[in-house]
Amino acid sequence: MNNVLVPLPVVLPLLAAGVRLALGPRITRVQRGISVAVLLSIVVIAAVLVYQTDRYGPQTMDPGGWPAPIGVMLVVDRLSALILLVSSVIVLAVIVYAIGQGAADNDEVTPLAIFHPAYLILVAGVADTFMAGDLFNLYVGFEILLTASYVLITIGGTGARVRAGMTYIVVSLLSSVVFLLAIGLCYAATGTLTMAQLAVRLDALPDDVRLVLQLALLVGFGIKAAVFPLSAWLPDSYPTTPAPITALFAGLLTKVGVYAMIRTQTLLFPGSNLTTLLLVAAALTMLVGILGAVAQTDIKRLLSFTLVSHIGFMVFGIGLASRAGLAGAIFYVAHHITVQTTLFLVTGLVERRGGSTSIERLGGLARLSPLLAVLFFIPAMNLAGIPPLSGFLGKLGLLRAGVEAGTPLAYTLVGVSVLTSLLTLYAVCWVWNRAFWGDRSKVPEPGQIIRTREGLGGTAIVAAAYPGSMAGTTLALVGFATAFTVVAGPLVTYTDRAAAELLERTPYVTAVLP
Amino acid sequence: MLAHFVAAVVAPVAVRRLGARAFWLIAAVPAAVTGWAVVTRGSRTEVFSWVPGYQLDLAFRMDALALLMVVVVAGVGALVLVYCGGYFNSGDVGLPGFAGMFVAFAGAMLGLVLADDLVLLYVFWELTTVFSYLLIGFHAEERNSRRAAMTAIVVTTFGGLAMLVGLIMIGLAAGTFRISEIIARPPSGATVTAGLVLVLVGALSKSALIPFHFWLPGAMAAPTPVSAYLHAAAMVKAGVYLVARLSPAFADVSPWRTITVVFGLATMIIGGWRAMRQYDLKLLLAFGTVSQLGFLVVMVGVGTWAAALAGVYTLLTHAAFKAASFMVVGIIDHGTGTRDLRKLSGLRSAAPVTCVCGVIAAASMAGLPPLGGFVSKEADFAAFTDDPVVLAVLVLGSILTVAYSARFVWGAFAVKPGREPTVMHGPGVSLSAPVVVLTVATVLLGLAAPVFDPIVARYANAYPPGPDDEHLALWHGFTLPLGLSALVLLAGAALFVARGAVSRVQAVLHPHLDAERTYRLIMHGLDRAADQATRFTQRGSLPVYLRFILFALLMMPGSALLAGLPWGGAVRLWDVPAEAVVAGLICVAALATVNQTWRLAAVMCAGVTGVGTATMFVLHGAPDLGLTQFLTETVTLVAFVLVLRRLPPKFVERQVEGIRRLNAVFAAAVGLLVAGMAYVAVNARTAPPASAGYPEAAIEAGGHNIVNIGLVDLRAWDTMGESSVLLIAAAGVIGLIYLRRTPTMPRAGESSGEVWARPGVPSFEEPEAARPAATWLRGSETLSAERRSIVFEVTAWTVFHPMLVLSLFLLFSGHGTPGGGFAAGLVAGLALTMRYLAGGRYELADALPLGPGVCQGAGLTVITVTGLTGLLISGEVFRETVLDWRLPVLGEIHFPTSTIFDIGVYLVVIGVVLDFLRAMGGELDRQVEEEGEEVITA
Repeated sequence: MNNVLVPLPVVLPLLAAGVRLALGPRITRVQRGISVAVLLSIVVIAAVLVYQTDRYGPQTMDPGGWPAPIGVMLVVDRLSALILLVSSVIVLAVIVYAIGQGAADNDEVTPLAIFHPAYLILVAGVADTFMAGDLFNLYVGFEILLTASYVLITIGGTGARVRAGMTYIVVSLLSSVVFLLAIGLCYAATGTLTMAQLAVRLDALPDDVRLVLQLALLVGFGIKAAVFPLSAWLPDSYPTTPAPITALFAGLLTKVGVYAMIRTQTLLFPGSNLTTLLLVAAALTMLVGILGAVAQTDIKRLLSFTLVSHIGFMVFGIGLASRAGLAGAIFYVAHHITVQTTLFLVTGLVERRGGSTSIERLGGLARLSPLLAVLFFIPAMNLAGIPPLSGFLGKLGLLRAGVEAGTPLAYTLVGVSVLTSLLTLYAVCWVWNRAFWGDRSKVPEPGQIIRTREGLGGTAIVAAAYPGSMAGTTLALVGFATAFTVVAGPLVTYTDRAAAELLERTPYVTAVLP
Repeated sequence: MLAHFVAAVVAPVAVRRLGARAFWLIAAVPAAVTGWAVVTRGSRTEVFSWVPGYQLDLAFRMDALALLMVVVVAGVGALVLVYCGGYFNSGDVGLPGFAGMFVAFAGAMLGLVLADDLVLLYVFWELTTVFSYLLIGFHAEERNSRRAAMTAIVVTTFGGLAMLVGLIMIGLAAGTFRISEIIARPPSGATVTAGLVLVLVGALSKSALIPFHFWLPGAMAAPTPVSAYLHAAAMVKAGVYLVARLSPAFADVSPWRTITVVFGLATMIIGGWRAMRQYDLKLLLAFGTVSQLGFLVVMVGVGTWAAALAGVYTLLTHAAFKAASFMVVGIIDHGTGTRDLRKLSGLRSAAPVTCVCGVIAAASMAGLPPLGGFVSKEADFAAFTDDPVVLAVLVLGSILTVAYSARFVWGAFAVKPGREPTVMHGPGVSLSAPVVVLTVATVLLGLAAPVFDPIVARYANAYPPGPDDEHLALWHGFTLPLGLSALVLLAGAALFVARGAVSRVQAVLHPHLDAERTYRLIMHGLDRAADQATRFTQRGSLPVYLRFILFALLMMPGSALLAGLPWGGAVRLWDVPAEAVVAGLICVAALATVNQTWRLAAVMCAGVTGVGTATMFVLHGAPDLGLTQFLTETVTLVAFVLVLRRLPPKFVERQVEGIRRLNAVFAAAVGLLVAGMAYVAVNARTAPPASAGYPEAAIEAGGHNIVNIGLVDLRAWDTMGESSVLLIAAAGVIGLIYLRRTPTMPRAGESSGEVWARPGVPSFEEPEAARPAATWLRGSETLSAERRSIVFEVTAWTVFHPMLVLSLFLLFSGHGTPGGGFAAGLVAGLALTMRYLAGGRYELADALPLGPGVCQGAGLTVITVTGLTGLLISGEVFRETVLDWRLPVLGEIHFPTSTIFDIGVYLVVIGVVLDFLRAMGGELDRQVEEEGEEVITA
């Protein structure tokens, strides 16, 4: 059954990007309007898809009318729909924030009008990844979002960004090569790339060949998801970009890797015997990541490390491979997209108000700007898993799953998870202690010039009051994250059904190959 | 409770408006709750569904224990809020926020004692931790406050998280998380036992028992109302409450009783001992609280009827006298500006009411009749008459309590010889009224003990009463407990009198390593470990990261591959022998690429590998792919060469020889791995490939060129994605090279005629007459004269239009024969390249006067609109429709929409090539000219 809504989250942003480029840098206001309208419509579409998939099962579209395996099939099941919905909300919020920042900064982040096209194309890539029913199309989705992210990460071209971009781009290219290699191997071994068909044919392969394919895919996705030991590139590359871009990357890009892991592990390699490997990787990711966070003095870098660390929580859920574990991982993905983005956006506000993101140079913000304090504190506590916020609920699901599994390794993971939570709390409280409490005199008055930026243009960085739209968007996101707590009941049952659907496999397979 | 959270939101506003007086208004909320609790009394249960998936409901239950706790929490809360109204000044910074957090804390605390769900209890538990963190750090500008707040939250959250795991283990084992159900039918087994230990870790840390006790004295950095409430009456009682709550079900499970009794007793002794050393009145009380909390945990954890009765009653009396004592200290601090008992003297006469209250509270603390403290202590001793060891330790602890109580009274109020009486301004009604109320409560708890007995007994009835257990009363006759009480008082007084000797002993016994220092060491070690670990994993070096990744690749799929040895299957080395030759060529070229020291040479060698790959495609019977690959290689080479002009001609040699070898090993190993994987994968194939269906599908789609049909029809969705990739890559290049400069269209007329000039080499002057009347390429006039090449200009002029025609032919013939939008776009792009190379950037602008991105943008628009049209017409995105028109001159036109799609691709590719030329060619030229360097022309 073709659902006309399915391709729209990809086609609409691409159309908007095309129009935007074709028209050139004229009538920016209208073009901004187009961006926002397109992204808003995707939120609505995603919401409808959530309802439809939950009610009627996976929704599909075969572009060109060619059924799989000849054509590319787009599939949206509960997992895809939920992540699509959460990410489209995030994407909408970040663009509004970025427009607010751009308007206030005289388009500091939007030179040459490539910000909007790149942003829209990235959104299309993310959406395509979530709904790709074909392994190669999944790769195309990755390429779209990665290439757009290359553009965004080097935007403005300062020395630091180009250096960071270099690390990011080369590592991403390597991950793409690994992924492409794995795709080639899958096709060589099975003669198909349609995932539903792969699911059937991979079952028939000898175990060792299957394992080789599975591991090759895992390495590719592990780089994207920043799973230790493939994670070191992330904290070196994310923090240099402007706040909205870091926020977007932090929220979405690693989750794309996690999504791909969930999809391939459940659909292509069910009953995996890699549980131990994944769980060990999860534990190391959590620990190495959070230790990195504790060692930082810059908020952006610190948050980048917590990002790596909390990927471990999701891998923990995937590694358990039980229904409860997967449901916990899915919930955690939705939660983490939201909270990590929000925190980076808040950091953008901090940078604007305090002129820096280094804790050494900040102090007393809670008194200077109570709103900013609230905006930081709630998502920070959420990240640390303080109840009743979504971080706690996500963790609760995973801990329950771990205890239910009951193996020594699962218990170890439970222990590592709570330790990571504690250290996360320690890290964010440290930021709070130093930047929000403490000596207020370090923070300049609004309007005071702090220092002149190195490199091109020589723009002076000025401490400033942030525009309402930036704070408003951040506030809205904090509200969105808090809403998770309110709708936790239905949301948890939804993720549970999503996990059940993943483990069952048949709904997906029959939707593609009736 | 809900009222509290509402009040928490309203409170900051109220305080901002009304100043400190707003606290009195806010106090009405907990006061009302207290009233409500006292009136309803009976048991009530309320359940609201929250997260059924996690068996987590908003279940609340009011029973005897909860009732007592509510009275303590809300009653003391109301009094402390009244006290706050006098303690703070309206102008204090951060006061509105403080008010909000304080009330929210009270709400969380009520939730904690009313929760009938293990996880819900944890929710409120952590909330109290977080709010207490914020409250302790009220004096945010002081380093001590911040540190203490951090210690408190880290230690209690550590326990809290352990407890959470424990609660989950117990709940899952029991099959329910409802506390009342678990108490009714306690689960058992190893998991439950482990869970209980973890729960106790949480309870001990929250109630500041050894070894977690050190956070509580630190937390005295908080404003005194906070200490009076959180650290005497409410929050620290949470651990005691939890133990009291679970003991009826689990006291008999093996380590429960041992842990509570041992840690409780140890805490009681050490807390009392440390209290006697303090000079700060508040710290004295804090260590006293630690001691009492240990005592309480023993009482409620041991799990007998008498101990439960005594323990819960002690909890009540402790809340009353300890909150009162803290408030007294607050008044003294407020009035004199110091809490150091060495500096205070003669306050007895300066603040008589305060003094009376302080003395009564301390007397109750020491267990003097007829106060509450006496009654509870009697009951406590009575509960352990059959356990002499515990009883002895309790007595010892109580002696210490008497001693530090005396020290408190003496320190605060006594006239010290050789000290001027301290000047003090008297407390207002708002400060002293709550103290008086609490003092009266203390007295009542003593005199009217039998009145409270039935309520407390309702909790104790969870255990079977023993044969000679007695109810609460002032007078039981001449019993052993009475004798012990007298002994305790006498010994305590003696200890106080001998305080000089005691402090000398203490100075000797003071350990070098206490819990606080251990905590600091642990945290310090953690920070260092974090630094080390991060330095090890986070090298900041791209090659290291790449080696990490390749290593993972070798280890994981690599080991799986080796485990699969020996591999079955057969090798067929080649289909055509030429393949081997080409493959050898590619390998040689690849090796050569790595070994070049000149950048240009390396690029050329890399180009050879690309051309070799294209040849492979051709040999495999895919001329279309081959053609596209050749064209791509050419365009890439041009782009490379353009960029290389801005780079040093040689590579910078930085790698050490050893690293180079290591890299070579990695590369070779990965190469072998990939080959091995390919071998295994290909040989595992049993099913026919999906591509087998392509020829048929292509014919159905109306063409014979499978590659093109695949691109524009079967997998049009992928092509759309890849087009956007190309487009955005070019846009990124433009963005990076132009940076902040808005690209403008260069116009030939603006040129100085010095493009690509060689500085230092004088441009030879062309005689005016020698200038041709018309040039072949208009833009070439802008070039510096010595850079012009007539031959090249003529060639470019001649070939440009035929190439465009060729590209159009490729575009439209793609469906049936080799070609298609991509290849066609590249051909057109090459035509443009030629114009640029012959005539410079002005010539390029002349050839295609479009802004950057416009062409690609239009292309992507065409592509997506095609897709959407299909969606509109047939409900399938990219569904092909064939348009047939009859045009007057041309006759029948057969025009599939996929051709329109291909036009989109064509436009994208042209735009991309154009932008590359513009950015890497034209803009770099301009930058070089500005910097006055020599340009190396291609």
